Amino acid sequence: MDSPIQASPFAAVAPEDFSSLLRRQGLYPQAAAMTANPRMDLPHTEATTILAFKFAGGVLVAGDRRATAGNIVVYDRADKVLEIDRHSLMAIAGVPATAWEMARVLEHSFQFYRRSQLQEMSLDGKVRALSKLLRDNFGFVMQGVGVVVPIFATYDTAGDTARLYFYDAMGAQFEAADYAATGSGSPSVRSVLYYENTWGKKTLRKLEQSEAVVLALRALDTAAESDTATGGVDRRGRSYPIIKIVSKAGITTLGEKALAAIYKTKIK
Amino acid sequence: MIEEPYRWVEAIGNRREYIEHQLESGSPIACLAYDDGILFLTLSRERQKIFEIYDRIGMGAIGHPGDIERLRMAAIEVASTEGFTRSAQDVSLRRLANYALSPLLKTAFEQVYGAPYLARMIFAELGRGSDSNLFVRLEYDGSIHASGGTLSRTFENFGVISGTALSTSLMEKFLRAQNFVSAGLENAINVALDAWAVGHLSLGRDAQDELPSAEKIATHRKEHLASAVIEASVMERSSNLPITYRTLVPDNLAFLS
Repeated sequence: MDSPIQASPFAAVAPEDFSSLLRRQGLYPQAAAMTANPRMDLPHTEATTILAFKFAGGVLVAGDRRATAGNIVVYDRADKVLEIDRHSLMAIAGVPATAWEMARVLEHSFQFYRRSQLQEMSLDGKVRALSKLLRDNFGFVMQGVGVVVPIFATYDTAGDTARLYFYDAMGAQFEAADYAATGSGSPSVRSVLYYENTWGKKTLRKLEQSEAVVLALRALDTAAESDTATGGVDRRGRSYPIIKIVSKAGITTLGEKALAAIYKTKIK
Repeated sequence: MIEEPYRWVEAIGNRREYIEHQLESGSPIACLAYDDGILFLTLSRERQKIFEIYDRIGMGAIGHPGDIERLRMAAIEVASTEGFTRSAQDVSLRRLANYALSPLLKTAFEQVYGAPYLARMIFAELGRGSDSNLFVRLEYDGSIHASGGTLSRTFENFGVISGTALSTSLMEKFLRAQNFVSAGLENAINVALDAWAVGHLSLGRDAQDELPSAEKIATHRKEHLASAVIEASVMERSSNLPITYRTLVPDNLAFLS
């Protein structure tokens, strides 16, 4: 019997996106079956702390550097704030293997789109692309492995404004008005940011860069105080949180020296 | 009829003649190194002819837009897949041209019942660190002309394509006598425009087999700049991103007027 859905006559000429290209070549990560693993509870915490908020100079994204497996600290130099393109950052809480692969697919998707279609992908298109990757990954989440809960920060050059999105593990996207936090340390961070934004001396959006960085570091420190999965600061080992800023000019990463100086004078 | 070998040779010969005829009015594209990278330049009226392929690879093409599009997509697909599965460092123009594109073009060209690609392409790859650049001209029949660097041939820091073989060789002759490698972008744009004029003057069946005079080049260039648009892109070594390709905007060309 013929399929009731006719193939579109344009199917052959419609622009192909990068994940379908990978799928056609058998290079796309295999999707797991959409069945829950009966022996496992669905995980609800992702061991880390990521925070992002809008300030006067754009969006600041910060993350601790601890990677854990259960109650074991595996690595204290994990980079959870990943650059996707000139103006976009993806920060991740969740399973690193899946998250880094997603960042890689995303980065290549945006480049592939620009090169093949001869125009930049729109901001909405980029936000949606991450959502699609999360949906494709949901089989793994149901199996109890591979859960990823990201934050996406970007600068809308057309609208000349900073944009901030957070996602759930199924791929729903939410635009954050002022701030977003994800990971096991996020409840305390969210409280700190809410307090500052509502009763602080200035709302978050009015903060200068130096003030924003101090607030981010203090919030991460607060999270590390009660959450074992969030890494603190090892000054001797010179491992500080990662802080990146997205502004109209692009992405800047705060260096170790700058962070060390702030820690010395403003944190403790 | 083409079961007989000599008929096949004849069919290929006809096909070559037909393609050359289709390409002979193509506007030249000059591609040359300067102190901070590589410049692609041509004059065109409407359609885009210079494209980004990957972080350090660019392409210029003349021919049928449909065929150029298919080849461009094939190149981007091969480069992107390699860059994704391995790394950006593993994407190389030498492999792209020799192993992916050349066999594809040759097969299409020699299967006389199918359609060949009506396209001639110039690719350039910006060398990493102290590595030298690579320029590759790829013909519709899959033949490759690379910028040299072998024992028998000196390395050329440029590559060109044009509608006819004569025009191409005169552009090359012109560029061999110019200095541009260690000078800035503005100088490179000027040299490329002159090379374009040399190439454009020597298109057509009754073209002279020698370089036109400097005066003739200047007049021709001026004449055409009035009616056509400069299309130019660069790949810059000083780029602080992995992506080096950038299309030049009118501001970059303002010094010409």
